Amino acid sequence: MLTQDKTQDLREVMVDTFIKAVERDVNMVVLVSDSTSTAKIAPFKDRYPDRLVNVGIAEQSLVGTAAGMALGGFVAVTTNAAPFLVHRANEQVKNDICYTNSNVKLVGLNAGVCYGALASTHHAIDDVSIMRGFGDILIFAPSDPVETEQIFNYALAYEGPVYIRMDSAKFPVLHDKSYQLEPGKIDVLRPGQDISIFAMGSTVYEACAAGNILNDEGISAEIVNVSSIRPLDREGIIKSVRKTGRALTVEEHGIHGGVGSLVSEIVAEEGLCCRVKRLGFMEGKFAIPGPRDEMRAHINIDAEGIVKTVLAITKNKQRQRMP
Amino acid sequence: MNNPFSLHPSEVTEKAQEIRKKVLNMNYKAGQGHTGADLSEADILASMYFRLLRYQIDDPNHPDRDRFILSKGHGVGGLYCTLAQANLLDEALLDTYLQFGSQLPGHPVRQKTPFIEVNTGALGHGLAVGVGLALAAKKSGCDYRVYVLTGDGELQEGSNWEAAMAAAQFQLDNLIWIADRNGLQLADFTNKVVDLEPLDKKMEAFGMWVGQTDGNDPAAFIDTIESLPRGDGKPKAVIAKTTKGKGVSFIEGQPSWHHRIPNDEELPKAMEELKC
Repeated sequence: MLTQDKTQDLREVMVDTFIKAVERDVNMVVLVSDSTSTAKIAPFKDRYPDRLVNVGIAEQSLVGTAAGMALGGFVAVTTNAAPFLVHRANEQVKNDICYTNSNVKLVGLNAGVCYGALASTHHAIDDVSIMRGFGDILIFAPSDPVETEQIFNYALAYEGPVYIRMDSAKFPVLHDKSYQLEPGKIDVLRPGQDISIFAMGSTVYEACAAGNILNDEGISAEIVNVSSIRPLDREGIIKSVRKTGRALTVEEHGIHGGVGSLVSEIVAEEGLCCRVKRLGFMEGKFAIPGPRDEMRAHINIDAEGIVKTVLAITKNKQRQRMP
Repeated sequence: MNNPFSLHPSEVTEKAQEIRKKVLNMNYKAGQGHTGADLSEADILASMYFRLLRYQIDDPNHPDRDRFILSKGHGVGGLYCTLAQANLLDEALLDTYLQFGSQLPGHPVRQKTPFIEVNTGALGHGLAVGVGLALAAKKSGCDYRVYVLTGDGELQEGSNWEAAMAAAQFQLDNLIWIADRNGLQLADFTNKVVDLEPLDKKMEAFGMWVGQTDGNDPAAFIDTIESLPRGDGKPKAVIAKTTKGKGVSFIEGQPSWHHRIPNDEELPKAMEELKC
């Protein structure tokens, strides 16, 4: 299901979720590093000024302070741009949050190449890879407004560190109201037979759009939303690949350390005879800066690029038999 | 809540000497350890656990306890021996220090050891976490105090100064930052590497109430902490002057003893010097 006419900024959903959480007595604080506008946090700040802490432009202080507030009994949520969180405050994330197992929810805003032409200082195309390197933290990347609300509610109720990869764009609604997030489960948005397309975050709606186009071309693509990166649905991924015999991964992230790596690792470990094609930013390269849509088109992670890639994979090639 | 021991400073001094003996035996047995730091901080740790910190022996996680963060996590050997001296930790565990799977690893791990608040070891982390705890206390209406013990070489980490600015901004007068000023770091003397002076003026400029004391004299140290102004809206910074390796003549002030442990000949000599 893809409803292009109804789109929403996921940050607005996030902030609304925070307000509702306080209304039901969740003892939470939101911390920013001068990133109030990045987080679109004003509605929360207006209602609960005492529950918003601005540590200034100081990301290490942001994460350390959040750990302390969590150890002092609060559910602490940090909201700032992903590159400054995962890069500048990397050691604080590792030690003060993950290793100390403090009850902090780290929100990486405007991840991937949301900042487009502002270039690589502002890109986070390795955040999932970095977070996967740390122990004891859950990792999520919501694909639409419905899922965003559920992921934040789950994270606020979960006792322990969580990283949530967020975006700055307006996302279409991909799920109806009956959708129920299951952490540790893949979300099959469209069942298919010919190829499994595993997408994360801002590429899931592109994969859905590609799935519709491919269907018209006579190719039945299984569209899989990998929003729960840790815990990961290993069995669900195996099942899908066994069925289709082909895998394509799509992410606004480096092809190493994210969904492309996860799927490849599972396919290799299971000995599945299956080609895995990874779409994302090249290993060992910074992204070429420019308008975000052009950057996405350049690496084929938009709908058109996905279709082109799938047609190239499926053309004149027989599906591999699964062992 | 009070300190469960509330000892007189002269009794605290005796405890510190016992802690030093434990440190030397433990490090000797383990074959590793940060001997210089463990000895330098012994009087501060004894003052904290036997006089200043308010906590309950049978409830390490009591919500109203004062918090103590060992930001200089490499000094954890001194802390383990202090906890053992206060019967907050089974003394037999000291024999397992640094062993595979031990409850006593080489830096503090709160999931493994009671009375450890934060997993430290990488330097420059404790003060920001202390800011968060002190802010949580203010926002929750709790009256616990947060003590953070940093080294001095550690203050070359810029993250400390981010945290100091925030502490002043948030008026955290319940935060007490103690700098173990032994003047030595791994490579050399701090003033030869990157000088910290004038440290007191730096702290003042960052919005702290600043005090200086003798960190190897429990009477002076306890008096300084117990005389700190209260309710003035200013975080406290106490420069506690210490001698690295304090208590053993051939260890004192020697950079090489940051990582060293006593050998078969040195151990009995050191123990002889530590006789009260």
